[in-house]
Amino acid sequence: MKYIFLLLLGCSLDCYAQDDLSKMFGNDSVKTHEPVIATYKSTRIIQGHSPETLKKRELDFRVAHHFGDLGGEYGGAKTFFGMDNSSDVRIAFEYGITDRLMVGIGRTKGSGSLTQLYEGLAKYRLLRQTTDDHVPVSVSLFGNAVASAMTSSVTKSDASYFDKFSDRMSYTGQVILARKFNRNLSLTLTPTLVHRNRVVYMDVNDLFALGAGGRFKFSKRLGLLVEYFYPFRSQESKDYFAARGQKFYNPLAVGLEIETGGHVFHVNFTNSTAILENQFIPETTTTWQQGQFRWGFNISRRFSL
Amino acid sequence: MKRITTLFAGLFLTLSCFAQDIYSCKNTTLSFFSATPMEDIDAITSKGVSAINVKTGAVYFKVAVNTFKFKKSLMEEHFNENYLESDKYPNAEFKGKITDNIDLHKDGTYNVTVEGTLNMHGVDKLYREKATITVLGGKPAAETKFNVHLADHKIKIPTLVVKNIAETVEVTVKANYN
Repeated sequence: MKYIFLLLLGCSLDCYAQDDLSKMFGNDSVKTHEPVIATYKSTRIIQGHSPETLKKRELDFRVAHHFGDLGGEYGGAKTFFGMDNSSDVRIAFEYGITDRLMVGIGRTKGSGSLTQLYEGLAKYRLLRQTTDDHVPVSVSLFGNAVASAMTSSVTKSDASYFDKFSDRMSYTGQVILARKFNRNLSLTLTPTLVHRNRVVYMDVNDLFALGAGGRFKFSKRLGLLVEYFYPFRSQESKDYFAARGQKFYNPLAVGLEIETGGHVFHVNFTNSTAILENQFIPETTTTWQQGQFRWGFNISRRFSL
Repeated sequence: MKRITTLFAGLFLTLSCFAQDIYSCKNTTLSFFSATPMEDIDAITSKGVSAINVKTGAVYFKVAVNTFKFKKSLMEEHFNENYLESDKYPNAEFKGKITDNIDLHKDGTYNVTVEGTLNMHGVDKLYREKATITVLGGKPAAETKFNVHLADHKIKIPTLVVKNIAETVEVTVKANYN
C-alpha cells in the first residue's frame, strides 16, 4: 500500500517539477527541408544568370553597361581608359510571376555581328537547395530569344544579311546548377547552348559552352564575383577564323557586388564586349592579355508591386 | 480505513496535478513594426509557440525567425540574411515569469508585469514588460506590446540604410492558450 502511495506521490512531484516550459515544444518550431536563401544577391552573377529568380510580384529594373577597352589600341588616356566608349548597354524590365518563375524583356545595343537586340527571357527555379542537404543543389532553367532590329546588310555573306525574319533570331538555353557551401561561398556550373539562326561561313549555329561562376563574400554587404565561360567551338571553325586573323577568347569576368538594401550594385571587369549570352559566349574576340578588358556595371532596382 | 484514507490522499494529490496548470499555444502570433521617414517595416508570423503555467506564473515563447513574412520579399531576405542572421540564430526565445500575485485559475482580465530573458540574434537581454492576460472559461489568452532596441541584441544597421530602418521596433505578441 505504501508503495502505491509513494508511486502516486512521485507522479505528483514529477508534475510540479515541470516548470521549464521550453521542454514542452522540443524542436517543434524548427522546420526541416528549409530552402537556402540568398545563394546570390541578384538574378545575375556578373553577366550570366545565377539560380536566383525574382519573387512573386517583384519588378526589377536593370541597367547594364560595358565601357570600351581599358588598355590596348583603343584604351588608355585618350579614351579615358575606355570610359569614352560604350561597348554595350542593356536596359530591361524583369518580373516575378511566381516565386519560381520570372520573365523579362530587354533592349540591348548589341556588340558583335548583330545590333539593336530585343530580348525576351524566362527563368524557372526547378529545385532549391535545402539547409539540411535533402536537396544539395539549386537548379534553375533559363531561356531567352533575341531578335535583331538592325537594317539588313546588302552583302550576302554577312551575319547581318537577313533573308527572312528568322535570320534575325538567336536563342540561349541554360541549366544553372548552384550550391551555397556556406554563408560566404556560393559556386555555380552552367551548361549552356547558344543557337544562332544565321552565322557567317564556318561559324557554328549551335554552340555548347560550360559556364562556371562563384561568389565569395568578404562581409555582409560586399562580395567578390568570378564568372567564366568555356565554349566548345569546333577546332576546324577555330582554325578557319584563326587563319583569317580572328581569334576567339573565353569570356572571363571578375566583379564586386555591393548591396545597399534595395539596390544591388555590380562593378565588374570583363574581356567580353557584349552583355547578352547570345553574343558574349560565341563572339568574344577580345582578350585580357592585350588590355582588351573593360569596366562594366549592373544596376538592379527591385520594386514590390 | 487508514489505508484507504492514505490512498485517497495520494490520489487527490495526483489528480490536483492533472487539473491543468500548463496551457500551450502552437499558433502564437508575433508581429513587429517600425516607422521611419523612408518606409514602414512590418512583418508577422503565426507560427510561434508559447506556454504558460497558471500556477507558477511561468511564461515562455519561441519563434523561428525565418517564419516572419514581410510585404517586400527582398526585405524578408535581408532580415534573415543580414540582420537577424537566421542561419546562425534560427530562433528567438523568451523565458519569463509573471511577477504579480494573481490567480489565473479564475476568469477575468489581468494587467500583469512579466519579467524574463529574451534571446534574439544570439544575445540575451532582460525585459520587464506589461502584458494583459484574459482568462475565459478557465483558458488564458495573453497579449503584449513592447519595444526592442536593435542595438541591445547586436543587430547592426549599416549607415547607408540607416534612414530606412528604425533603431527601435515595436513587437506585439498574441497567444490563445488551450
